[in-house]
This record gives sequence, C-alpha cells and structure tokens, in this order.
Amino acid sequence: MRLNFRNPVIFSALLAICFAGSPSGAQENQSAKTQASAIQVMMIGADGIPVPAEFQVSLYENLIDQLQKKGVFQHVYRDGDRNALAAPDLIALQCTVQNFQKGSEKVRQVTTVAGATSVTLRCQFSDKGGNSLVERNITGNVRFFGGNLKATYDFAKKAANVAGENFSAVPGRNSHPTGP
Amino acid sequence: MIASVKAVLIAVTLFFCFAATYGQQARTVTEAVQLIGLPGLKENSKGRLTVINGTLRFIHPQGNADVTASSIQDVVTGTDSQRVIGGTLGTLTLLAPFGSGRVLSLFRTKLDTLTIRYRDADGGLHGVIFTVPLGKAELIKQELIAQGAHTSIPTQADSKTPAADSKEK
Repeated sequence: MRLNFRNPVIFSALLAICFAGSPSGAQENQSAKTQASAIQVMMIGADGIPVPAEFQVSLYENLIDQLQKKGVFQHVYRDGDRNALAAPDLIALQCTVQNFQKGSEKVRQVTTVAGATSVTLRCQFSDKGGNSLVERNITGNVRFFGGNLKATYDFAKKAANVAGENFSAVPGRNSHPTGP
Repeated sequence: MIASVKAVLIAVTLFFCFAATYGQQARTVTEAVQLIGLPGLKENSKGRLTVINGTLRFIHPQGNADVTASSIQDVVTGTDSQRVIGGTLGTLTLLAPFGSGRVLSLFRTKLDTLTIRYRDADGGLHGVIFTVPLGKAELIKQELIAQGAHTSIPTQADSKTPAADSKEK
C-alpha cells in the first residue's frame, strides 16, 4: 500500500505519534543521568601493564582537558586537589590501563594498514562513598594520521562522552569556570 | 692617571659581565616543544627549556612558564622520533604520487621526551610532556634532580626498563 500524505487522517496521526514520542524519550534520557556538579580525575593506573610515562601523563591531561571542554561538570578537579573535598556531590573517576599496544607512526605512514596504537582503559566513576556508579571499558586508537599519543586524545574524547551520557550538572547552581 | 683608572673600571665591569654571562650559559638551555600539560599554553608550543634557580622554566613567545623543582614528583626521560618534513606539508606529501610521500616518512629525526609530574599549590597533580633534541633530556633531568626534583628512575641505565622505554617499534 502506498503511503499517501494527502490523506489528512493518516498524516495527523503520524504527526501525533512523532510529537508524543520525542519528549518522553528525552525525559527518560534526562532522568537516567546522575546529577553531579564536580568530578575529580585520578592519575591513570597501569595495573602492572608497562605503559610509558608520557602515555600515562597524556591520558590524564587529555582526560581533564576533554572533561572541561565537554562542560558536563561545573568543576573538574585534579588528583590530590584539596578543593575537591568541599564539593558535596563529587564524582571520582579512576581509569586503569587494561591493554596497551604501542604502534609506530613510521609504520602507519608507510604501510597504512599496520602500526596502529591502541590503549584500553577500565574507567570507573564512583561517588564520595566509593560506590561505583558507572564502569566502562574505553579504547583509544590511532590508525593513520598523527603520533602515538593521539590515541590518548581519542580515549579522552570517548571518556568525556561517556561522562556526558551518564552525568549532568546540578540545575539551579551558578556555573563557575571549570577546573583549576 | 684618570685614563688608567677608567680603563681598569671598564675592564672590571667587562669581567663581571662576562662572568655573569658565562654563568648563565653553563646551564642547559635547549629548544623544546611542550606537547601537553602546562596551564594556559596550547599543545605543541615551541620554546626554550632551562633549569634556573631551582625552577624548570619554559620560555615561549607569550612569556615564561615555571615549575618549581621541589614540587616535581617524577621526572622521566624517553625517546621518540618525528618526520623530517612534518606539519601540514608533511601530511600533504602523503598524497604525493607513486608512494613518494611514504618514502619521505622513512626520513625521521630522533627526539628525547621529558615527562614530569608535579603538584600545584592546592595539591593538584599535573603532568607535562616536552620533546627536546636528542641527548638533552637527561641533562635537564640531572639538573632538576640536583635542585630537588624526585624521580622514579634514578639513573640513565635504569630508564631502559620496559616501563619507561618509549622507543618506536
């Protein structure tokens, strides 16, 4: 049967379904998010996996940078920052390297298909009491363009997206510039 | 008589100027690129790196960025490499015909990386990564340690352990 949009009954029914569906979906999405105004990013753990120091630092700094850019939280605190203790609804983010494969920029540029760098981290978002709220494995890759450290940027962007999907800032508070 | 006094004064002044200049140059000052980490600085900022008066100083066109040596919890050196022709031009050469761009990718310069972790006044942990010319990172590391910085890898020989080895495969 051909769908005829000139039939007003069918057309209005379709419109009604569309308009009725979208707000309720959005509300569900919103209510599923945990409200938190601040996050503290802990230093990246290696868990016995040999990860070069520059990768650990790059993962940590990119993660803070991306969380600040994403703007999900009003404050993004660093590991050890004493100001974080005052935040009432603080989320702690601890990421631990699960798998690390260091590729080669030279091999990537020469062969196109080989030499990818990949890093997988277990990211745990927990509340002040230490209860785990969200746990996710996130992988950062660099397959062609860029240096090996670009995999850490890829990871950080994905981790910030995960934070955006699961958390939102507490409404009604003044928004301060993020982070130290 | 007055002329000789003037000459002596000028000689003494020049001596102190040269001594001061020589004292400054004795410290390692090297070209560096800050990959990430210094607050307020863009990634891949170019400048010069030195250790002066107990401080690691990154001198860049917008000013200086200082990190106190005593606040540094870890200094680690490593090695890396980069294309001789880099940047946008380097990316464009990849499109060159007959795979000539790929051949250019084989020409690379070796670099040292210098990774530091330090705490700010609030106790917040920061990490900074620099690339410096080959052989310079270890000199800066030694100077930082001499001025109060800490390291998890005390000697150059130990830095070849897998955890710190960052050589390209």
